[in-house]
Amino acid sequence: MKKLLLVLCISLSVSLQAQKLSTRTGEVSFFSAAAVENIEAKNTAVSSLINLADGEFAFLLAIKSFNFEKALMQEHFNENYMESDIYPKAIFKGSIVEFNQDNFTKDGSYELIMKGNMTIHGVSKDVSYPVNVNVKDGKVSLTANFKVKPADYKVEIPSSKKDNISDVLEITVKFDYD
Amino acid sequence: MTKNSIFYIFLLSFFSIGLSAQGLLNELEEMNGPETEYAFATFKGTKVVNLQSVELPGKGDLQYSILHRFGAFNQDFFYNFFGLDNAQIRMTLDYSPTDWLNLGLGHSSFQKVYDAYGKVRLLRQSKGEIEMPVSMVFYSGIFIDGIRFQEDLSYEFTDRLAYTSELIIARKFNSNFSAEIVPTYTHFNFVEDADWSNDIFAVGLAARYKISKMHAISFEYVHQLNPNEYLDSETNEMTAFNNALSIGFDIETGGHVFQLFLTNSRGTSEPNVFAETPGSWLDGDIHFGFNISRVFTVKKPKTE
Repeated sequence: MKKLLLVLCISLSVSLQAQKLSTRTGEVSFFSAAAVENIEAKNTAVSSLINLADGEFAFLLAIKSFNFEKALMQEHFNENYMESDIYPKAIFKGSIVEFNQDNFTKDGSYELIMKGNMTIHGVSKDVSYPVNVNVKDGKVSLTANFKVKPADYKVEIPSSKKDNISDVLEITVKFDYD
Repeated sequence: MTKNSIFYIFLLSFFSIGLSAQGLLNELEEMNGPETEYAFATFKGTKVVNLQSVELPGKGDLQYSILHRFGAFNQDFFYNFFGLDNAQIRMTLDYSPTDWLNLGLGHSSFQKVYDAYGKVRLLRQSKGEIEMPVSMVFYSGIFIDGIRFQEDLSYEFTDRLAYTSELIIARKFNSNFSAEIVPTYTHFNFVEDADWSNDIFAVGLAARYKISKMHAISFEYVHQLNPNEYLDSETNEMTAFNNALSIGFDIETGGHVFQLFLTNSRGTSEPNVFAETPGSWLDGDIHFGFNISRVFTVKKPKTE
């Protein structure tokens, strides 16, 4: 009986530790469509975790890791808009709403909701966006598309750049978990 | 196995569950491991005024610059239409095949100088996993004086050549303030006076301070360690060439950088500026000038 309890305890703690999906090579990209030009940037070094015990979900990215078509755009993005020297990271921390472990373990495609706190440019906001979770042969991938207004995160776009930068950015999130 | 030890293991297993739930963000940070953050945009332009800055255009970028230098305030300023009529111009075209190399060609109307130059990035200021307090760039140029020699004088083509090298050591102290120290070495194959040294050593100091996201003020001073002396026609005395001092105002608009400045150097190419500046701020030999640069992205990096 004692031995059984011990095995149970250890296996419980081990299994809970292991039940976490993680990736370090997640993708977050944004797209801005404006009169003069379209701007696109992609970050392929996003790390993300999903805790399968309770549905906690978080991701973290370095602003400087966004790659642009033009080196100068990337410099302006970091220096003039995101101020990445001061605010080097963007973070989402929250959970999957109405979490059910089956949505991450059984093959299929599931429309779910992510809900939590997004921090960009030092400004935190409560957000909630739809996500799609796809499980195939035990491999879990998560995608989401949503819109972000730079103004909501106190990222100022001068009026002279209104024709170059849209006031609403389309964000695409794509995580393939290990 | 006692009851106690089982109890502790039981407790421990819960403790570890609690920890993992609490520190999801910490865990994310740990997953990323130590990162290296490189300083960027230490200066706005690839030049401060006359000195090279520590910046190189991005990989695949073609940069075209026009430098104007108007006549001095004390040279019949109004007769010369605010210095416009006796203005000097310099044009450069450079390209960066990689992130660490920039190659360019230039022409200056003053002394009809043609030049070719290269800039190589040696060190990048960074913090995090790799700690590097400064950025370092090496610049070297070859300058060909295009002025006709006097007909009765025999000369070799190599007499027209001069070389300038700069080691640019820069630090971005914070997002607004950056400074650099620039040891320079200029060699003239041929000098006008037998007493002159062919080799001039000088140390440049430059700084910029951003007053808004798009605007910055800049300062630059190049101190010669062994200046040559020339006969001043007004005082009839031997006078050392002056050190070039410049103050500027940078405006950035997307793909352009405009640099407006005041300087006592009339020349626009490096050997002229560092070793042959006769003008002095105190005597009103102040030239208004501006540099305009435009970047064209020739080769786009793959975003995939």
